[in-house]
Amino acid sequence: MSGLLNVKVGAVDLKSPLILASGTCNFGHELSEYYDLSILGGLSSKGLTIKPRVGNEGVRVAETAAGMLNSVGLQNPGVDYFIEHDLDYMRGLGCACIVNVAGHSYDDYMAMAQKLDPYKDKIDALEVNLSCPNVKAGCMNIGTDPEQIKSIVSSMKEITSLPLWIKLTPNVTDIKATALAAQEGGGDAVVLINTLLGMAVDIKSRRPILHNNTGGYSGPAVKPVAIRMVSECYRILDIPIIGCGGISTYEDVLEFMIAGAAAVEIGTASLIHPGCPVDITADLEKWCEDSGESLSSLTGTLKLW
Amino acid sequence: MKKEYSCKIEQVQHIHEDTVYITIGCQQIADNAVPGQFVNMSCSYFLKRPFGIASVNKDKGTFDIGVKIVGKGTADIASFSAGQTVNVLGPLGNGFDLSSSDKFILVAGGTGVFPINFAHEILAQRGVRHVVVEGFRNKEQITMCSPEYVLTTDDGSAGIHGNCCTGLDTLIESEIEGATVLCVGPLPMMKAVGAWATGNGLKCYVSMEQRMACGIGICLVCVCKVKAEEQGQEFNHVRCCKDGPVFPYEEVVW
Repeated sequence: MSGLLNVKVGAVDLKSPLILASGTCNFGHELSEYYDLSILGGLSSKGLTIKPRVGNEGVRVAETAAGMLNSVGLQNPGVDYFIEHDLDYMRGLGCACIVNVAGHSYDDYMAMAQKLDPYKDKIDALEVNLSCPNVKAGCMNIGTDPEQIKSIVSSMKEITSLPLWIKLTPNVTDIKATALAAQEGGGDAVVLINTLLGMAVDIKSRRPILHNNTGGYSGPAVKPVAIRMVSECYRILDIPIIGCGGISTYEDVLEFMIAGAAAVEIGTASLIHPGCPVDITADLEKWCEDSGESLSSLTGTLKLW
Repeated sequence: MKKEYSCKIEQVQHIHEDTVYITIGCQQIADNAVPGQFVNMSCSYFLKRPFGIASVNKDKGTFDIGVKIVGKGTADIASFSAGQTVNVLGPLGNGFDLSSSDKFILVAGGTGVFPINFAHEILAQRGVRHVVVEGFRNKEQITMCSPEYVLTTDDGSAGIHGNCCTGLDTLIESEIEGATVLCVGPLPMMKAVGAWATGNGLKCYVSMEQRMACGIGICLVCVCKVKAEEQGQEFNHVRCCKDGPVFPYEEVVW
């Protein structure tokens, strides 16, 4: 069945539309104990920063209906440690190696591009995290402002020739404005969406369950929001879209692709069923066989009323 | 390759008003689990729930967990009945190293009695010398206690009046000398037991707990603090599920 699942995200060829979403697969070591990650289109690393981060204190997770809130706070070993210890491992997984980069400021993003550009033979794309809601500076604070998005993306393009996938936040009034800014800055693709900012309250203590007060909402509950944003952006963008948000079945993948996604990311579903991409892959192959269609031909076939 | 198992619940025993003891069929988990490890088990809610393994039966291909109702997920699981199917990941995490010593002191509080029971069973099978100290709030809470254990209750309604450390103080020199302490229970109790062990020159291992999601080390939500002076920082966040749940007492930032 090889071939039917092939998709392209700009110049990047993927053998499957399934990419593991940043922050839900670490650097691949743990999930490799459950299945051969070479079945995937790619894996996006845990969000990396110039310096190591210990992340947020206290309770970091709250269960919700059909989803969860997290406030990990970009805990990561730092980009130097990643280059030394994890990059070669990720490269060797047999799927596209996507490195997720985050920062507190414009300068941080430039420093990350400089750090990683020398390793472009091992990296397929940088996923620029302008959307993490769990840190006090940078990320979502930058990613809600089209001017800053455009400025950061265009400056990173001058530093590195690596494809830049811009991961955007849904916590904006108009996703089209931020997506267009990513395109105008020279972004090679947009990833829609990161988590929705949310809160859960402990009714006994009358305090937020998360010690960060707020967290990022993910899981099947956010899927309709993500699909809507993919659809809105597909109609105005020239660059490809990677859909992300609540995907846990092959039907979810098809839905995202029909709405306009060239590829998709699986996130929270891995936390519930670590082996779910194996089942989704088999189901997608069967769907292609039965329908006689290739997945890549599905992108953007949505017919609006 | 590791996998998620679809398992049949063999038996549910209601051992207390708020606690059930569940036997689940899974040959692979029965064969591979070591004391201190846990399983992450599905319920009617979004996330799985983690439980320390209380016992295994390799012949029957079953393992046991103890579930105390502390929220809606555990209440849901406590309502399960024999014959029902659950999805289980496990065995997960790093268990106790039972080869590290020829003498142990096992200390359990609350639901810590379940993983400590598994450690006791394995040590008994191997003929390794050990004593068990259990602490409960009152006699109504007593679970998985044997007449040969040192029993303490906070209100004195059964056994020794006091906490686990009061119980530890009743041990004789030959039980203490050269022993390794394994402790599972609420944080303040593990901290006190670790201090007692250190005061007696003994190595102590504790089992850390935190709100968990994946159970396999990919989401980084269930962290606890360990000392990281060598890395030039006050502490580091490590994953209870993957780096633990068992940690040496002296490495934990209490």
